[in-house]
Amino acid sequence: MSAPALSPRRTPSATPTAPQKRPFSLRRWFRDTGWRHLVALVLVVFAVFPLLYVLSASLNPGGSLVGSNSLFTTIDFSNYVDLFGNPSQPYGQWFVNTLVIGLTTAVLTVFMGAMAAYAFSRMRFTGRRMGLLSLMLVQMFPQFLAFVSIFLLLSSIGDVFPAIGLGTRLGMIMVYLGGALGVNTYLMYGYFSTVPVSIDEAAKIDGAGHARIFFTMILRLVAPILAVVGLLSFIATTGEYVIASVVLTDPSTQTLAVGLYQYVSQAFSNNWAIFSAGAVLAAVPVMVVFLLLQKYIVGGLTAGSVK
Amino acid sequence: MSQHETTATDVAPSRPGAPAPGPASASDRGRRPRPPRRIESGTMVALVTKIVLLGLLDAVAAFAIVVMVGLDMWLPIVATVVATGLINWIYLGRGTRLPGKYLVPGVAFLLVFQVFVVLYSGYVAFTNYGDGHNGSKDDAIAAISRAGLDRVPDSPSYPVSVVEKDGELGLLGQAPDGDVVVGTSDEPLTVVDDPTLNSLGVPTGAPGWTTLSLSDVLGRQGEVVDLTVPLSEDPGDGFLRTDDASTAYVYRSAIVYDEATDTFTDGDGVVYTDDGEGEFASADGQVLRPGWKITVGFENFERAFSDPQISGPLLRVTVWTFAFAILSVATTFALGLFLATVLNHPRMRGVKVYRVLVILPYAFPAFLSGLVWAGLMNPEFGFINQVLLGGAEVPWLTDPWLARFSVLFVNLWLGYPYMFLVCTGALQSLPGELEEAARVDGAGPWTVFRSIKLPLLLVSTAPLLIASFAFNFNNFNVIYMLTRGWPRFDDTTLDIGSTDLLITMVYKIAFGSGGARDFGLASALSILIFLLVAAVSVVAFRRTKSLEEIN
Amino acid sequence: MKVTRRTTAAAVVALTAITALTACSSSDDAASSGSSESAAAPASDQTLTIWLDEQRAPAVEPIAEQFQADTGITVKSVVKDFSTVDQDFISQVPTGKGPDIIVSPHDKLGAYVQNGVVSPIELGDTADQLADVAVQAVTYDGDVYGLPYSIENVALLRNTALVPDVATDFDDVIAKGQAAVEADAKVKYPFLLGLDPKQGDPYHMYPLQTSFGSSVFAQNEDGSYDATRLTLGDEAGQKFAAAVKTWGEEGVLNANITGDIALEAFEKGESPYYLTGPWNVPAIKDAGIDYAIDPLPSAGGEPAQPFLGVNAFFISSKSENKVAATKFLTDYLATDAAQKALFDVGGRPPALTTAYDEVAAADADVKAFGDIGLDGVPMPAIPEMAAVWADWGGAELQLIKGEGDPAEVWTKAADNVESKIK
Repeated sequence: MSAPALSPRRTPSATPTAPQKRPFSLRRWFRDTGWRHLVALVLVVFAVFPLLYVLSASLNPGGSLVGSNSLFTTIDFSNYVDLFGNPSQPYGQWFVNTLVIGLTTAVLTVFMGAMAAYAFSRMRFTGRRMGLLSLMLVQMFPQFLAFVSIFLLLSSIGDVFPAIGLGTRLGMIMVYLGGALGVNTYLMYGYFSTVPVSIDEAAKIDGAGHARIFFTMILRLVAPILAVVGLLSFIATTGEYVIASVVLTDPSTQTLAVGLYQYVSQAFSNNWAIFSAGAVLAAVPVMVVFLLLQKYIVGGLTAGSVK
Repeated sequence: MSQHETTATDVAPSRPGAPAPGPASASDRGRRPRPPRRIESGTMVALVTKIVLLGLLDAVAAFAIVVMVGLDMWLPIVATVVATGLINWIYLGRGTRLPGKYLVPGVAFLLVFQVFVVLYSGYVAFTNYGDGHNGSKDDAIAAISRAGLDRVPDSPSYPVSVVEKDGELGLLGQAPDGDVVVGTSDEPLTVVDDPTLNSLGVPTGAPGWTTLSLSDVLGRQGEVVDLTVPLSEDPGDGFLRTDDASTAYVYRSAIVYDEATDTFTDGDGVVYTDDGEGEFASADGQVLRPGWKITVGFENFERAFSDPQISGPLLRVTVWTFAFAILSVATTFALGLFLATVLNHPRMRGVKVYRVLVILPYAFPAFLSGLVWAGLMNPEFGFINQVLLGGAEVPWLTDPWLARFSVLFVNLWLGYPYMFLVCTGALQSLPGELEEAARVDGAGPWTVFRSIKLPLLLVSTAPLLIASFAFNFNNFNVIYMLTRGWPRFDDTTLDIGSTDLLITMVYKIAFGSGGARDFGLASALSILIFLLVAAVSVVAFRRTKSLEEIN
Repeated sequence: MKVTRRTTAAAVVALTAITALTACSSSDDAASSGSSESAAAPASDQTLTIWLDEQRAPAVEPIAEQFQADTGITVKSVVKDFSTVDQDFISQVPTGKGPDIIVSPHDKLGAYVQNGVVSPIELGDTADQLADVAVQAVTYDGDVYGLPYSIENVALLRNTALVPDVATDFDDVIAKGQAAVEADAKVKYPFLLGLDPKQGDPYHMYPLQTSFGSSVFAQNEDGSYDATRLTLGDEAGQKFAAAVKTWGEEGVLNANITGDIALEAFEKGESPYYLTGPWNVPAIKDAGIDYAIDPLPSAGGEPAQPFLGVNAFFISSKSENKVAATKFLTDYLATDAAQKALFDVGGRPPALTTAYDEVAAADADVKAFGDIGLDGVPMPAIPEMAAVWADWGGAELQLIKGEGDPAEVWTKAADNVESKIK
C-alpha cells in the first residue's frame, strides 16, 4: 500500500529517545525499570500462588485440594497419565474440541466485531448511537436462565439442520457468536477511532472501495486490538461452562470446561488430583495463544503505522 | 445534549461513508464530496465472492424453508424469509445500506442467540413455568392418566405377543388358567382355539392374526404401550397392557380423563377440573400433579413486589450489590491499569514473561478458581491462615465483613487480568507525542499519567468499565462458588446472607424457596434487575460523555 | 446501467441459489428415501439415549452392546454432569429432546413425578428379587418408577491399629477416640466427619440425629413421607441440637474439616474414627489403613439410622422407545451380571438380592455397609425435601461453631422450613 506520509500518531514513546550509551548505575536502573520488576514480581506471586497450589495437587496422586499445605512434596505424573487413559472421558478429544471451538469463535468474533466497529467508526447512519448502546445493554441481561431458551432454540435448529443442532460443535460456536458484538465492538470501536481518517481518504482518492480499505488497510492498522479481542474471546470460550454443558450433550463434542467439571461434580468421588492435572493442562492453550498474540498486542501497532 | 443528538442523526443519513471526526481529520471534515457512484466492491473477484455467498445463503434458506414446511414451523419460516430477503436487499444495494453490510453478520447472530434469549425470558416471566408446571397440558393429562393406572394387586402376569389384524393391534397371551387368549382395545379377551406355541409354551401366533416381530414392535412402540385390552365386557375387571411387549399385567384405572368435559374423575367419584391455574383441582382444593405451563399475566411481577420474603432484606442486598459491583470495577481497573503502565516500558526486559504470568488467573478455568480459593481460605486448614499467617484462624469466609472483603479480593484476582489486557491495548493507542510534548514542558511522569494518560484512557475504556459494572452486578459465579451468599442474616427466614447479590438472592428465591423451582418468578425478577442495571448504565453512559464524543 | 448491473447481480444470486439447491435436493432425496426404508426396518437405526455419570458409563456399555446384538437397538450413553442432571432432565424431557433413560439417585423422584417427566414401570416378578428398601425408595404415590441398582449409606470406619474394639455407643466412640489422641502424638482427631464450613452436612450427621429419635418428616404406615408433617423441630430434634453444640465445643465436630480434609487425615492415620460412605473406602484401602466397618453408634439411645440413598434407572415419560427401554431395564439391567458390573465400578452394594448376596459373601466391606443400609430408611424423595437442607445445615453449622441457644436455633430453622413449604 502506498503509505500516506502521515505522522504516525501512535509511535511508542521509545522511538524518539533512542538508548544512549551511559555507564550502568544501579540507582538509575532502579528508578527507570528496576522498580517495575519489583512490582511485577509481587503481582506475579499474587497471580500465581493459588495456581502453584493446584499444580502441586496435580502432581500428588490421591492428594486433596484443600488442606495439603506442603507444596510439591510429591512429584508424580500419574495423574496426567490417568487423564488420558479413560475412554469414557476422552480428555484428548476435549482438548481438541476446546481448541476448535475456541479458535473458530475467536476468529469469527474478531472478524464480525471488526466489521461492526468499522461501520460504527467510519459511517454515519440513523440509529448509530442507539445501536452502539443497545449492543452493550443486551449483554447486561442476567444470563442464568438462558439455558432453557438456548436449549429450545438449538433443538429446533437441529430439527432443520442436524449438523448445527444440539450437541454439535458448530451449534456451540454459533451460540458463542451471539456474543460477538457488544463489549467487543466497543473495545474495537474506540481503537478504530484512533486511526486517522485521512488514511481512508487518501485511499479513496486512489480509487479504493470501502471493502478494500477495510480489508487491506484498516484491519492491519488495528491489529493490536484485534489480538486483544481475539484473546478475550478465546479465554471466555474455553472457560465457559454453563451454556456449554447444555449444548454439548455428547462426550465426544464436549469442551474441557464441561468435561472437567464432571470430575468435581462427582460429589463423593475424589478426583481432585486428576481434575487439577486437567485444569493445569487446560490453562496451557490460553497461555500459548497469548504468547502467539503478544507480538501483535504490543508490537503490532508499530509495524502497522509505519507501513 | 439531546439537541446535539438530534442534529447528528438528522445529518447522518445524507453523509454515507463520512469519516469519523478525529484530531487528524478535523480539517478534512465536510470538504469531501459524496463518493463517486461505481461498483463498490471494486474488483470482479469481490463481486463474484459476494454473489456466490449470497447465492449459497439463499439456497440454504430455501432448503430450510422446505424442511420447516414439513415440520409445520410456520413462524420460523416467516422469520427466515424476512431475514433472507433483508440480507439480499442489503448486500445487493448501496448507499445508505452500506453500514448494514458491515453490521449484518454480527447482528444476525446477536438477534438469534442473545435477543431471543432475552425475549424468551420475557415470555417466561409471564408464565407459571417451574416445578409442577413444566410441560404442556397434553403431557400433564398423559402423565396423570398413566400414573392412575394401577396394577391389580396380586394379579397374575400374562406372557404375551403383540399381534395385528386389519391394521389393529392386539395382545395374544396365555391366561393363568392355561388358555390362550387374544383381544384388542375394542374386543375383550377371547379364547383362541388353535394357537402356535414356542418351545417355552408362550403363544406366538393365532389363526387370522399376524404376529409382530420384535422390530415391528419397536417401530410402533407408542401404540404398543398405549394398547389396553379389556379382560371382559365388564370394565371393572380391568384390562391387560404391556410395557415390554412380552409380559402383560392386569390394570385398573384409578382415575379417568373425560375429553368432552376436560375433567378427571377418580374411583371415589371426585371430579377434578381445570382450575385456570394450569392444573386439575377438585372442588375441595385437591390438586393433581403434574400441572402444565400457562401464561399468568403480571402475577410474577406482582409477587416480586408484594412478597414480604423478597422485600424484607432487599435494601441491604441492593446496597451491597452496588458496593460490590462498583468496588470490583474500581479495584480490578486500578490494579490492571497500574500493572499495564508498569509493564508498558520500552526498555524493560522480561516483559513478555511477566505478561504471561500475570494473566494466568484469567487463563485458568474460572469455576475451579472459586473452589481453590474457598480451600485456601479455610479458617483452620487453609494455606493462607496456616502457612502465610502462621496458624492464625482468620474467619475469611464466615465473618460478615471479612467475607465481603474476601469476595472482593478473589474477584480482584479473577478480574484484573482482563483490565490489564484492556488497558495495555488502550495505552498502546495513546498518541506518543502527547507524552513527549508534556515531558518537554517539564511535567513529571506522575503528572503526565494523571493529567494526560488517565483522562484519555478513561474516555476510551469508560464503556468497558460500565459493561464490567453490569457484569459484576450479576456476578453469580464468584459469590456462589466462594460463599453461597453466606454468612446468613439472622433476621430473615430466607436463606440470604451478607455477601448475597441481587442475582444470587433471586436464584435462591426462585430455586430454593419451598423446594420448587419457579422459572416464571425468576425471569420476572431478572427482568427487573436488568431494567435496573440498564438504567444505571444508560445514565453512566450519558455522564461519561463517551457517546457524545461519537457524534 | 446501474439498474442492469444490479438486476444482473440479483439474477446471478438466484441462479447460484438454484444450482446449490439442486445439488442439495438430490442428496436430500437420498436422505428421505433412507428414512422411508427405515420405517420398514425400524430396529436398525433406533437409539435409546441414556444419561449417566462417568463412573457408571463403563459398566453399562457392555450390557448395551449385548442389548444391541440381541435387538438391533443402539444404546447411546451420554455422560452428564451429575450436579445438574436432574434439572436438565426436568427441563428437557417436555421438549421431547430428553433422553429415554436416566440414572439418578432416588431422592430426585418426587421432583420428577411432580413435573411429569418419568413414567411408571411394572417390575413384575423382578420386584421380588430386589431389596425391599430399594423398591420402597423408587415408589412414589403408590407407583414404582425405577429399576434400582445400588444402595448407599454411611457407616463408621475405625482404624483398627488405633482402636481395636468396637464401641458401644457414640460416647464410647468419643472416649476411645480421645484416648487414642492422648496415646499417640500422630493422632489429632478423636472422630472425623466431613463437613462444609459454609453449609454443614445434615446428610452425614443424620445417623446421630436419628439416634435421638429425631427425623425430618413423619412417615406414613407404608413408609412414604408425609410432607405436611414436619418433625424436624420437635423435642427430639432439640435434644439433638443441644448435643451438637456440646460436640462442637468439645471439638468432636469441627466445621472447618471438609470432606477431603477428613479423608486425608484418616488416610494418614490421624484419627481412629471416620463416619463416611463406601465411596471413600477404596482410597482408604489404597492408603494402607487397617480398618473395620462398625455399625453406626447411637448417641441418644435410639438406633442410629443413616439416610439410605438408592440409585436407579428411570424411564422418561416422553420416551418414544418405552418398549425398548423397559426391556433394557427389566431384562438386561436387573440381572446379576449387570448389577455386579455396576458394583465393580461404583463400589455400592447392589439392589438385586442375589447379586448382593454374592458380592457380600466375597467382600466383607460391602456386607458391613449393606447390612446397615438394608435396615435403613430411604431418604425422603418428596419435593419439599429441597426446602429443608439449607436451614437444617445452617442450624447445625451454627451450633457446631457454638453460637446461639440450641433449642432456639433449632426451632427457628424448623420454622423457616415450615414457612417455605407452606
